[in-house]
Amino acid sequence: MEYQNTLTTCIYCGCGCSMYVETIDGRITGVWPDKTNQISGGRLCIKGWNVTGFVGHPDRLKNPLLRKEGKLVEVTWDEALSQVAEKLSGIKRESGADSIGLMTSAKCTNEENYLMNKFARAVLGTNNIDHCARL
Amino acid sequence: MSVESGFDPKIVAFMCNWCTYAGADNAGVARMESPHNILAVRVMCSGRVSPEMVIRAFRSGADGVLVMGCHIGDCHYAAGNHRTAKRMPLLRNLLGYVGINPERMELAWVSAGEAPRFVEVTQAFTKKIRNLGPLAQEVTE
Amino acid sequence: MIAAIREAVAERLGSCDGVVALRRRNGGVAPHLFQKGDELAEMELSPRYPLMTVVSRLHKAFPAIRLGVVARGCDERAYVEMAKRNQIDPTRLEIIGFACTAEEAQACYCREPSPKHPVAGTPPAPGPPNPLVAKYDSLPLEERRSFWKKQFSKCIKCYGCRNICPECFCEACAMEDMAWVEPGLLAPPFPTFHLIRAMHMASRCVACRECEHTCPAYIPLTVLYDLMRRDIADLLGYIPGADIEAQQPLSLSLEQAPLKK
Repeated sequence: MEYQNTLTTCIYCGCGCSMYVETIDGRITGVWPDKTNQISGGRLCIKGWNVTGFVGHPDRLKNPLLRKEGKLVEVTWDEALSQVAEKLSGIKRESGADSIGLMTSAKCTNEENYLMNKFARAVLGTNNIDHCARL
Repeated sequence: MSVESGFDPKIVAFMCNWCTYAGADNAGVARMESPHNILAVRVMCSGRVSPEMVIRAFRSGADGVLVMGCHIGDCHYAAGNHRTAKRMPLLRNLLGYVGINPERMELAWVSAGEAPRFVEVTQAFTKKIRNLGPLAQEVTE
Repeated sequence: MIAAIREAVAERLGSCDGVVALRRRNGGVAPHLFQKGDELAEMELSPRYPLMTVVSRLHKAFPAIRLGVVARGCDERAYVEMAKRNQIDPTRLEIIGFACTAEEAQACYCREPSPKHPVAGTPPAPGPPNPLVAKYDSLPLEERRSFWKKQFSKCIKCYGCRNICPECFCEACAMEDMAWVEPGLLAPPFPTFHLIRAMHMASRCVACRECEHTCPAYIPLTVLYDLMRRDIADLLGYIPGADIEAQQPLSLSLEQAPLKK
């Protein structure tokens, strides 16, 4: 018998509403708005209330997919990443760094997004970077 | 009449299968004249008429909603219309609280043998709604 | 006051499998299931969360456990209505009640700011009725309509009012049914969404005001629900949350629960 509320931040946009994810024996059973938080003050929007919907969703990707002969197949991270690195350096070599653009995600942490920004500007050499949560 | 005022109301009437619908049928068979404004929705019991159905009827353009069923004591399901009798006054008040004239909704008991009463109720209600004017004014103005 | 409640909780932990209360940790306060050995110093009384919903979820997940819960007056009222609707098993729950402060009662417009048998706190005088209720009830039809239409037009359809409500536990919600509330329209078209919820709150709403506190659009929802509470009292003599023996009148026949007027 284990009941837990885990303090976390909504991943859907840049507002940063605070919430608790409720679990009973490790299974997610709901979301509570964090009433002590100064930003959201115990209020959430429909995305926040349903933020856990994707966790156990059957459509959720758990492994990278690579298109091989027109079909998406599951591959290892090593294979996927080396493929991406190879293609990106190829594009940069042939058409210049500004032919690459990056779109990052609100589902990543601040730190991951910062790394993406560094990767775009310092590694690839382009300013073409944007984020889905530019509210 | 509709030509005079330029407004021909739409009235959704929920009628219970066992009493009012049969009463309406009898009125038709007896060639009595009931208003053409009544759009009948047959339900198995007036207790089946949920508040959502009435609200949706207003949302979908009804100018008035009639809920009709068996007289208390005559319900085919013994006490189905008892629920209606409690629920509908609450809904009527609620409509008033948000500013929709509660007169636009009415609850009436009409039995299968009361064809003249069916005509009477529907005519009086149609007249009332005609005087109140279109609901669209109140909802979307 | 909290010391007396902690003591009562510690005592209950001997006879119950756990006690639901609020816990402060990582700078925030959330519902928690205190079990033997847990640090009761972390227990808090504010802010309010719908703890009876937590109890209900635990009762359903573990059909044999016996729980305690630290409850305010509104929690106890919520419990009464939930137990009637088989959401909580009253034989497996012990309430450790405490009275709210006079300030809290005022802020909540709470008419019953204490559970029936508080172990701590002195029941304060009831708060005043919400002045908005009388104000908007006396307005002419057109002004009421323009007020509520303006309020409802702020709705972002987050369903927070329903999600936080201890009395909203239906598995299939009428507000998610496309037949009654069309998808893809913001704000929900007047008068569908809010009237459906207000109507469903008749005979259920225990005036805990959680819906209003969690509404990101600041819609004064409880004004409408207070009016429904008044109506169900006038029409059927029923006060939600007052008496666990009183059956909810809307599902009874007229012989069992006659109309008062």
